[in-house]
Amino acid sequence: MANDKRIGGALAAAACGLLGTASPVRAPAAEPATKSTDGLWDVDTAFLYYGESDGRVQDASLNAIAVRDFGDDRKLSLDLGIDTLTGASPSGATASDQPQTFTSPSGRGTYTTNAGEVPLDSSFHDTRFALNAGWSQPFARLYTFNAGLGVSTEFDYQHVGANLGLTRDFNQRNTTLNLAVAYGQDKVKPVGGVPMPFSSMGDVVDDDVTPPSRSGDSEDKKVLDVLLGVTQVLGRHTLLRLNYSYSDSSGYLTDPYKILSVVDPVTGEPLVRTPPPGVEGPGGVYLYEHRPDARKKQSVYGELRQDFSGKVLSLGYRYSTDDWEVDSHTLEGRFRFPVGESSYLEPHVRYYTQTAADFYRYSLADGAPLPEFASADARLADLDAYTVGVKYARQTTGGNEWSARLEWYRQTSKAPAQTLIGNQPGNVQMPDFDAVILQFGYHFSL
Amino acid sequence: MGSPCEVLVESSHEQPAQAVASAVAACAWRIEAKFSRYRDDSAVARINRAGGETVEVDEETAKLLDFADHAWKMSDGKFDITSGVLRRAWTFDGRARVPSPDDVHALLPLVGWSRVTWQRPRLTLQPGMEIDFGGIGKEYAVDLALAAAVACTDAPVLVNFGGDLAATGPQRDGRAWRVGVEGVAGSHIPWTLELAGGALATSGDTYRFITDGTDRRPHILDPRSGEPVRGAPHSITVAAATCVEAGMWCTLAMLEGAGAEAFLAREGVRHWIQRK
Repeated sequence: MANDKRIGGALAAAACGLLGTASPVRAPAAEPATKSTDGLWDVDTAFLYYGESDGRVQDASLNAIAVRDFGDDRKLSLDLGIDTLTGASPSGATASDQPQTFTSPSGRGTYTTNAGEVPLDSSFHDTRFALNAGWSQPFARLYTFNAGLGVSTEFDYQHVGANLGLTRDFNQRNTTLNLAVAYGQDKVKPVGGVPMPFSSMGDVVDDDVTPPSRSGDSEDKKVLDVLLGVTQVLGRHTLLRLNYSYSDSSGYLTDPYKILSVVDPVTGEPLVRTPPPGVEGPGGVYLYEHRPDARKKQSVYGELRQDFSGKVLSLGYRYSTDDWEVDSHTLEGRFRFPVGESSYLEPHVRYYTQTAADFYRYSLADGAPLPEFASADARLADLDAYTVGVKYARQTTGGNEWSARLEWYRQTSKAPAQTLIGNQPGNVQMPDFDAVILQFGYHFSL
Repeated sequence: MGSPCEVLVESSHEQPAQAVASAVAACAWRIEAKFSRYRDDSAVARINRAGGETVEVDEETAKLLDFADHAWKMSDGKFDITSGVLRRAWTFDGRARVPSPDDVHALLPLVGWSRVTWQRPRLTLQPGMEIDFGGIGKEYAVDLALAAAVACTDAPVLVNFGGDLAATGPQRDGRAWRVGVEGVAGSHIPWTLELAGGALATSGDTYRFITDGTDRRPHILDPRSGEPVRGAPHSITVAAATCVEAGMWCTLAMLEGAGAEAFLAREGVRHWIQRK
């Protein structure tokens, strides 16, 4: 057609002739989304409080995740977190019918646990900063690529990590395959130095003296995670996700603050020790724990999501096994349903159970040969955990959303019978606890 | 329609949403049955079977033929509803099969709206000629379906028949509908448009093309030469007041080949073009 001929009016007239009055007059109003979201950040902020019973660990954290879409699904995300831990955590020592005195991790002082109580190390407090940055973008018609870097720091621990991921859509985008690799390099710098494996808790030393039996200032740890996942649309209302993941940790996997009580091989009662005259020190014999320097873990995860006309049920199950013999099962369910026009409620239940690590010991018997590895960390014992909670979210008229989540968590553990000595089977005290989780979130754009 | 058809109704009540869904589905099925060239009992099939005889058509078919007639004139013969017979030579299924010039030339006498006598409501094709409403029918169905939806509800509605879509206006909260447009194979990527009203149509199929080993040619044929249009973009998306207009802009721009961008820019049409 001739270059200077304009046909817009003729086409509009022809369309009007075809559609007649059947067509309501509608102005064309399409814009690339990239234009209207240009310069927009999508921000998720959350305040979370986690509090364990009996004055144990309390954690308050602030987290903000900001995502900016640069158009064409190219996204930058920044994730900033600050959290403050206070309170006390179990040291690994057994309870006793006598008060017990311990040297604090720094080696500069002592603390005492009352008779009949599970020893808690109350010098536990820390502030942690974490920053993660990620980029994701499609790079071919059905592929999306993402990469990220993260650092976190607290006074005795540093982490740097990197991750790479690739997703590929198949089957008219009804199937998505996902491959992700993450690598982390951590440095542990325990207060008072790194204790030698199975060294005894020493007496209090002066400020300018290194506590005894320390192998150095810091240790390293490396973690490689690989995840292979598939998400399958099973119908308009059903989604299935299956993941396999492999995690390989190596290096210093021991907890430098955890100890084991040395007990009388007949009674199972903690040994009693008297520090030298004029010296403060532990009133018993406590050895620093020692874990293997490698851990390989595999897990499979399945999640089914079903939409019942606006109500969404999701059920998940995870099985995990590792070469520390910690095998776990997790069952989790959520049910989200609308309340009114712009709110929803989402009850949540979760059950977790695990078997003890093969080197878990409730205590060590005096005079018996030391095992190659041992830890009395209850998190490595037979363990059950339950979570019950509910989330409420409400959308504002401006399209922002705030939410509140309240959850109750109970953790109970059990020392395997074969790790108990003397009279311990009758009076084992595990550091079980309840915790409350309260979270407020606000999602907005700016 | 040969593609997934959907309607989005922003309503928290089931009854009006059901009514809209039924009305839209009825509209889609009716137009499919009446104008599909794949169905022996359709109005189009009746015209194509006439074998040179004059056929009297109903009012709706007449309006579509009028529209096709206007489009043919506007495009100086590039848009032609009789060009479908060229498909006998060109099979756009991704295989390496370029027909010989003789095959194509043999079909050209069967192509051309100028060989057709259209005197409302009577249509006479030459024996062997065929018409089809590809490039009009689906878009027409979208506009009619949206009108049918509006008759049922005041709620915001978006009708989407295989990527050609129209909306009553923005969503209830004032935000535009977000519409994903499939990226072309190779370097490009999917992107998203915001539709606050009016219609969007996309032409150029990611999957249908032929290749002779070096050149991938999309399935747009120039009815005057019988050859694929050179330099046509892989995909054109246009926003217009109605889906019929948006679809026609896409088709006309495709027929401009390498000049698609210049054509749409000159016409002042809101458009998005993907080239490999």
